[in-house]
Amino acid sequence: MEEVKCYMPSTLIEALEIKSKVDCIPLAGGSDLMVAHKRTLGLTPKFDKPVMIIRNLPELRKIYINEKGECVIGSGCTSTEIAENTLCPWHLRQAASRMGAIGLRNSATIGGNIANASPKGDTPGPLYLLDARVKLSSVNGEREELVSDFIVKFRTLDLKSDELITEVIVPYSEDDFDYIFWHKVGTRKANAISKITLSQAIKFAEDGTVADYRVSATATGAKTNRSRDVENIIIGKKISAELIEDVIKAFDGVISPRAMPEFRREATRRMIRRFLSVAATHPENKVIDTYDDYHVTGQPEPRRK
Amino acid sequence: MDAKISFKLNGKNVSITTDPLRRLLDILRDDFKLTGVKEGCSEGECGACSVLLNGKIVTSCIIPIGAVDGQEVMTIEGVSATEGGKIIVEAFADGGAVQCGFCIPGMVIAAYYLLSNNPNPTDDEIRLGISGNICRCTGYDLIVESIKLAAERGEKIWKK
Repeated sequence: MEEVKCYMPSTLIEALEIKSKVDCIPLAGGSDLMVAHKRTLGLTPKFDKPVMIIRNLPELRKIYINEKGECVIGSGCTSTEIAENTLCPWHLRQAASRMGAIGLRNSATIGGNIANASPKGDTPGPLYLLDARVKLSSVNGEREELVSDFIVKFRTLDLKSDELITEVIVPYSEDDFDYIFWHKVGTRKANAISKITLSQAIKFAEDGTVADYRVSATATGAKTNRSRDVENIIIGKKISAELIEDVIKAFDGVISPRAMPEFRREATRRMIRRFLSVAATHPENKVIDTYDDYHVTGQPEPRRK
Repeated sequence: MDAKISFKLNGKNVSITTDPLRRLLDILRDDFKLTGVKEGCSEGECGACSVLLNGKIVTSCIIPIGAVDGQEVMTIEGVSATEGGKIIVEAFADGGAVQCGFCIPGMVIAAYYLLSNNPNPTDDEIRLGISGNICRCTGYDLIVESIKLAAERGEKIWKK
């Protein structure tokens, strides 16, 4: 078998220079790429393009708060590093802490999770919710783009061939909201691929009207779903049972789950209803979660054979 | 395209000239004959191929050897030779944690990683600690008990 060329830069500048000359696949944690290209037991994974290993680039491993108060996360930071770092926003830490298995979380990176552009990816949900941007660097400079624009569609990115994702910048955190919600429905507690994950956040104005409300859904369509139009239905108004149903109905029109659609739609409806109706009572706890007696009654469709 | 990869393996400096995209798992088993590391799912989920990379538990089936250049790897062979590792291995034997044994090297690594970071884990913390390791004999309860036993027996070592 013909082997592809593999580059192993030791600095970011070196990596960007290689990227400007060679059309190559950046490989960080390997948790998606090594699996997608694996062959059978004992054989080397087969790539159709040259590969550039960027796992250990120190420039991509930093987490800090910038001068605007935004959380900046290097694209090479692992899920464990994000889950354990309290500088990172709560929604993102929840998602990172429940991604795959422990050993995988010590490898998988946020840059890779975005670049994989899967509608079931764990981090895009919170990143869409919090208006996160990616920083894309090349030898010619750098630019920033909203994660929700950068992920164009399934497995498709707005990425030029000489660019690398170097940073993820998250402008909002739980501090900007009064109540927060994150719930992942998986088949198991650990090692689960999301069946559906909902991230929500709400802030009230002094007069009791909704100052800001956000909801994003994972695994409910070809892309992570969020719609400012839907959120605007409730923003500026006082929460009422009718208004909650309006939001639910509108969001139902945004999502387009393919497998088990009724289960996913019903779970989404119930989680939005739960969050908004509990938030309207202004409870003490900032985190609103599902209770033990909370059940999704929609039945999954039989598996396709 | 071969490249020279140098790294620390169980405390010793080693180097190998090979395709950097070969999996760490294959290098350990085929080139260094460290067959304690097992291949289960090949997707980073079952934990049978767990090793410590720079002290952190990782699944070696998803790591290309090129990513290990200049890093430090510890396998079950290295871990079970440490004071803490010996205590875990003995506790697993005494506690009857081992059935078919295929998941056990990964389980011992996970227990070592857990106890090194949390010397007094609760039952839930132990279950969380081995949540990345799948035992197809489903003998989790005795594994959890054995890790508790290892925590008690190795109290002084883990608290270091």
